[in-house]
Amino acid sequence: MIVLNDEIKKELVKLASEKNIFLEGNITKLILDQNDTQFSSYIQQCISRDKENRRKRLDITKTIQQQNKELIEWKAHNQQLNKDLQFALEASEKAKQLAENDLDMLQKRTQYELVGSIVKVALYVICGVGTITSILFAITLFTDIENKTVESSWSNMFSILLTNSFSIVGTIMGVKYASDKDRKRRHDDICGKCGKDL
Amino acid sequence: MDMIESILLVDDENLFHLVFEDACSLLDITLNLMTIDNADAAENHFANLVKENKPKPDCIFVDLNIIGSSFDGIELCRRINFVHGDGVVIGIISSSDDEQEQAKAVKAGAQFWIIKSDEIEPRLEEFVKDFDGYKERTAPFKVYR
Repeated sequence: MIVLNDEIKKELVKLASEKNIFLEGNITKLILDQNDTQFSSYIQQCISRDKENRRKRLDITKTIQQQNKELIEWKAHNQQLNKDLQFALEASEKAKQLAENDLDMLQKRTQYELVGSIVKVALYVICGVGTITSILFAITLFTDIENKTVESSWSNMFSILLTNSFSIVGTIMGVKYASDKDRKRRHDDICGKCGKDL
Repeated sequence: MDMIESILLVDDENLFHLVFEDACSLLDITLNLMTIDNADAAENHFANLVKENKPKPDCIFVDLNIIGSSFDGIELCRRINFVHGDGVVIGIISSSDDEQEQAKAVKAGAQFWIIKSDEIEPRLEEFVKDFDGYKERTAPFKVYR
């Protein structure tokens, strides 16, 4: 325990009464008042003020502690939400990619079917016209009918059919190339330069 | 009821240091409180006290999970009890109420387990009443809920 001399006691009491400055902390519990009524009341005042301050600080600290705890929980909750969101985003991106691939496949299949139909019809027409002109030519040959016109017509017809065949194939290839290029441009517009091959 | 001469609190949460200090002062539990926020530092501190033959704290409160330390509170209890110390009252102060951890703490030499919560004061008051029993090693392990 600490024993203070009269002069210090007076100074401390004076400081408290004039400037409202008190001793605080655990040291107040170690000072002996030695039956000095005025100083004893001063020490009691110091102790009660200290307790009051500590109680306030304790309440504030507990509140902050609680808020910190809630913040930490919120942070963890937010991190989990962000993770879930990221997963959902990735899943939707994959689904979008799959849907795009399916659509692409469907488009390609339709395109190939159309191309196949065009080629078939073109082949039927070419073969039909070729066969008919060949039959006509054969008839003129076997029946000794004057065949100069049919002969030239037959060769003209075949050259035209041949040219047209190439033209049809060229047109089909051109359409396919143009549609591929258009699709690539649309993909770039949506995804930017993602670097993925189509 | 006498005050505890000196207390050491090992807890990584600095805000709890303030709570504990104020509670100890308001309840007149001790006038001599030291706080450390790391288990490694606490072990070194205790080892130095033993080495330099300085007075050891009367009671040590250890948090269960001391973040930033290379071992947990139960291991610190074990080291202080079986490596460095003798007769120091030591226990865990934690928000956990896990019975398995409590069993481990008993094996490590912990004498009490105080559940940390908003209302720590009533538990500390109850603990102080039992302190003599812990000091004399007559009180059984107790969980303050």
